[in-house]
Amino acid sequence: MCERVTVEDVERAIDMGFRDVESLKRYLRIGMGPCQGRYCVPIVLGILSRKLGVPVEKLSYVAIRPPLEPVPVRLFLRVKKDV
Amino acid sequence: MYDLIIVGGGIIGVSLAFKLAEQGFGKILLVERNYLGSGSTFRCAGGIRASFTSREHIVLMKRSIELWGELKEKLGVKYSRSGYLWLTHREEDLEKIKGYMRIHHMFGLDTRLVGEDFVKEVAPYVDTSKMVGALFDPLAGKASPFDSLYKQFLAAKSLGVEFLVGKEVTRIDIENGAAKGVLIDGEKIPARNVAVTAGAYSVYLLERNGIKIPLTPVPHHAALTEDFGRLFDPLIIDVASGAYAVQTFHGNVLMGVDVEEKPFGELSVKLAFLEKVVSVWSKWLPWLPNVNILRYWPGYYEMTPDHHPIIGPVTPIENLYIATGFSGHGFMMAPVVAEEVASWITSGRPRSQEAGNLVLSRFEEGKTVKELAVIG
Ligand SMILES: Cc1cc2nc3c(=O)[nH]c(=O)nc-3n(C[C@H](O)[C@H](O)[C@H](O)COP(=O)(O)OP(=O)(O)OC[C@H]3O[C@@H](n4cnc5c(N)ncnc54)[C@H](O)[C@@H]3O)c2cc1C
Repeated sequence: MCERVTVEDVERAIDMGFRDVESLKRYLRIGMGPCQGRYCVPIVLGILSRKLGVPVEKLSYVAIRPPLEPVPVRLFLRVKKDV
Repeated sequence: MYDLIIVGGGIIGVSLAFKLAEQGFGKILLVERNYLGSGSTFRCAGGIRASFTSREHIVLMKRSIELWGELKEKLGVKYSRSGYLWLTHREEDLEKIKGYMRIHHMFGLDTRLVGEDFVKEVAPYVDTSKMVGALFDPLAGKASPFDSLYKQFLAAKSLGVEFLVGKEVTRIDIENGAAKGVLIDGEKIPARNVAVTAGAYSVYLLERNGIKIPLTPVPHHAALTEDFGRLFDPLIIDVASGAYAVQTFHGNVLMGVDVEEKPFGELSVKLAFLEKVVSVWSKWLPWLPNVNILRYWPGYYEMTPDHHPIIGPVTPIENLYIATGFSGHGFMMAPVVAEEVASWITSGRPRSQEAGNLVLSRFEEGKTVKELAVIG
């Protein structure tokens, strides 16, 4: 997974008491790298679902923070003139 | 029966739980309606300083900084005394920072004017060509909000504190003028004491009990770049605009600046914020236009009329305590606030006179705190 987190790290964190994706994200930094969680969060949801015995549909996804993809700062410098 | 129920799992609630657990205080339950840190705490910049302009802020923050050092030693919390650096590019701002410095010196804070060479040393990737002067606070620093909350959570948990996460306290159970516990899903959970550490939301919670507190949530914004190696150690402030930037322990640059916002306003994203914050910082960080913004979020500052926190008993109700109203500085104050609230709960008194000045009743009694100078 991104930020060099392993499945074992995720399982250990769940055992320590981090039982939702938002907390796992911030404890382990999954989803905070360049992919912003689009690859690893579904995997984490799978592990969480298996460990807690709760179906994936019942677990909530992480809040999506804009922008959706990394955006170069220079684009925002031009906002005033373009909008 | 719990000895204490803490309502709200931000840095204040979690620090209080850890502090009391360390002191061997009885049975504690902390209730968090969303996830730990989900309020303002995980949206904050992690800046820590004592260089304020009121006795209350300075004295309490000096103690808090001592306690941050202890947290680092005890729990390995990511905290660094890397300073704050105020940067000016206009003569008039130079006079302003000299004024702050005189107040800092009155309270024994060692802030000092520094030149280009010094700035280059602590902040190699800040462009000093337009700088006319800078003020440095060596006692200030930063800590990781995630790390400091999670390490105290794990430590408190291992000391026996119970955490109920994902449940909302709908009301405080108050009978005959005294707190008796809290209500969750219509069920009463009894406790000898209740502490409200629900951040900006404390105002709504207490309203349900008919208790009015002068607390106003106001949105503030922050944006984060991708991560880099060492760029600058201190938290930097552009005096002219009040914008700040800090490099996180992970290496990202976190930036914030004030934009117009309404009291009780919704947390929504504003392009005007991004435009303003990157314009200010591109002046000092000429490489900024070429890097990426990874995330951007709004969060609440919990403002009081005198911009000082509310700490202590919710008089006249017995066994009910509150700690909020940090007006944008609650993260740095968490260690000292935990110590002061613990003192109120265990001995009925604050630990310091300065904390005693910050009780809720000051607003009714007209004893609000006066700043000696207002910093941007
Ligand atoms: C952009 C930004 C930058 C900042 N930068 C800094 C900085 O550099 N330094 C600094 O010191 N401060 C900073 N702050 C301020 C700081 O974030 C806050 O003052 C601090 O986090 C307050 O912590 P808290 O624990 O009181 O509140 P919160 O973190 O808001 O925690 C309150 C918790 O209570 C929970 N809750 C609310 N109601 C209920 C209920 N009825 N039942 C159960 N749970 C409930 C919430 O879900 C929340 O988790 C910043 C704030 C923002 C928005």
